[in-house]
Amino acid sequence: MSAGIAGLGWVTPLGVGLEEVWSRVLAGEAPETTVLVNPETGRELPYIPILPAVTDALGRIPRLRRASTISYLAVAAGLAALADAGDGAGLSTAVVLAVSNGGVLYTRRFYEQIIKQGAHAASPLLFPETVYNAPASHLAAQLGIDGASYTLVGDDSVGLAALHFATQLLDTGEAGQVVVVGAEECDWILCEGYRTWRLARTALAEGSAAVVLRRTGRWQVDTHPGHPFTRRRDAGAALSRVLSDFAAADVRRVITSANGTFVDRAESGALERFFPNVPGLALKRSFGEAPGASALQQVVAAALAGEPTLVTSIGTNHQASAALVVPK
Amino acid sequence: MALSTDIPSHRVVVTALGVVSPLGSGARETEEALRAGHDRVGPVCTFDTSRTRSKTAGQVSPSATESGLHPASDFMISAARQLAAADPAFVPELAVIGTTSGGMSFGEAFHRTQVERRRSAEAARWLANYLPHKPIADALEANGWPVPSQILANACASGTNAVGHAFRLIRAGKAGRILCGGYDAISELVFVGFDSLQASTPELIRPFDRHRTGLVLGEGAALLALESLESARQRRAPILAEITGYGISTDNHHLTQPHPSGIGPRQAMERALADARRQPGDIHYINAHGTGTIFNDATEGAAISQLFGAGTPVSSTKSMMGHALGAAGAIEAVFSILALRGGFIPPNINYREPDPAWDVDIVANTARAASIRRALSNSFGFGGTNASIILEAFE
Repeated sequence: MSAGIAGLGWVTPLGVGLEEVWSRVLAGEAPETTVLVNPETGRELPYIPILPAVTDALGRIPRLRRASTISYLAVAAGLAALADAGDGAGLSTAVVLAVSNGGVLYTRRFYEQIIKQGAHAASPLLFPETVYNAPASHLAAQLGIDGASYTLVGDDSVGLAALHFATQLLDTGEAGQVVVVGAEECDWILCEGYRTWRLARTALAEGSAAVVLRRTGRWQVDTHPGHPFTRRRDAGAALSRVLSDFAAADVRRVITSANGTFVDRAESGALERFFPNVPGLALKRSFGEAPGASALQQVVAAALAGEPTLVTSIGTNHQASAALVVPK
Repeated sequence: MALSTDIPSHRVVVTALGVVSPLGSGARETEEALRAGHDRVGPVCTFDTSRTRSKTAGQVSPSATESGLHPASDFMISAARQLAAADPAFVPELAVIGTTSGGMSFGEAFHRTQVERRRSAEAARWLANYLPHKPIADALEANGWPVPSQILANACASGTNAVGHAFRLIRAGKAGRILCGGYDAISELVFVGFDSLQASTPELIRPFDRHRTGLVLGEGAALLALESLESARQRRAPILAEITGYGISTDNHHLTQPHPSGIGPRQAMERALADARRQPGDIHYINAHGTGTIFNDATEGAAISQLFGAGTPVSSTKSMMGHALGAAGAIEAVFSILALRGGFIPPNINYREPDPAWDVDIVANTARAASIRRALSNSFGFGGTNASIILEAFE
């Protein structure tokens, strides 16, 4: 399926300006890494934060005053993308949010109260923000949307799944424009989980990205539903299945999801087969691993690349997918 | 939503289904329980409730599930196998599934190992099976369906959103066969969450009753095989029902509470009716969201009363099995199909006294024999998500 990308936005460890951050990515800048400490064991866990100052201004929005970081990040990116898209007057707007782990900060805090103090002590102020669709709800409220608002969950490839879902909303006439947002926040327990799962070769990061899809835009994006895999050894074959559908495309650059794990070999093997001489860029070297946000960060980068760019994403154990972004 | 004349319009039918819930496993057992108005809510047996107000939930019988995987995977595999057995020739192109909490109890187990400072050989397995896509992947793999999936987490509207989105895709000619549905398994975090909000009741769940005091959680899974009528006829597939309309709305009043006017539910129902090109008087049964909370039932009752008056029978099947969250919409779509085909309306049990705030025909306590041709099913959730679908007897 195809759609037009009319606007871009992101919140990254390197900043929020589109061209400014892209220049820093091309210059090979690495993000600032700090640590979260597991308070139960003392283990230091590397992670890449978004500075609170980036989203401080949103704190004046009453609706967000109790919201978790992920909601701030999602709203910031979504509003930035809409501002970049410009006039969408008269278009019915839908929101599609991509998340992987959701509101982990509040989830961890809420369950911690249950474990340490007992269920009677668990705070009702925390529970509502644990739901996966809380950020989408906050963004929809900011935009005054009374129609379609969807949250998709999955592994790192969920951003491309959300993009494909959004093109479906356009194609079925459910919306005239779709704000597609991916976001992720970090907590020590998330870092600990990825470390235990042997998937923390790239530090986990916070971040978000958004695109505004319309029937036409400054870029065309060809999306794909993806192909499933559950075993790591099958990831390369899954991506190959997807890439076969793009084999005839004119691709000048690839932005990959390489992250220092099994993904790297699976991805490079598939790309070598279908796009052997196309230069690649591993964006997670600049932004870290922000599962719910990464794929859409790759899409924004692909748009900024200024030439036909393929985005590939292999997640942990759900799907491999790809999308092609072509400037108009 | 008025359809663009540029978008094709194919009829969308249900050729098979699978269901696992506190009311039983499979269509036959489920229909028996619905007709009998069984109360399948009982004491929670998987975690400690000594410090919560509410103590009960609708839980799936252990005999209904496989062993070794997360319960959510068990539910999904069982539902998928039922569906495949009913229509062996159905092969989906895509799966669209709703859920709210995935494999949450595995995340809880991992968290406890951290707090208790102990290692567990199970930790990596818990993490691999904690994310919401895993039960779906397990079900697809168990049936040999290597197809992509879209997983919707729109809180309690997820299941209806999944069915509705699949319906829209097939109607518009974007797909021919889609597996859709929803699942959720009870977890301590979510149970305590609703308890902390005092949204769950320490008593019986009594949807729409004047003295209702809250919801009871449930669990389960339901899957439906959706297909274009042309494709179903071509392969002479069984046709159980037709889906004709889907409406979605977002209520921005509050993260956990609906606008008191009922505007969100009303918009979802109006849009579903418009989508199906039906009038309120065309609907013979409403399977309500009906959680039994003061707020939900007030707004839904008001919206139903405004739109349908007292002429359309209404029941909340959550009265029998609790609120299965992301699975609820899909399970209740199955219940609606069983009602359409079986000529009965499931009861709203534990109902003693009408709420004078609205005038609605609640099917109280006993199933009602009725020839119903069209049913509307509602699902409303946190974050202001509201969804309604219309299911019709196939003609």
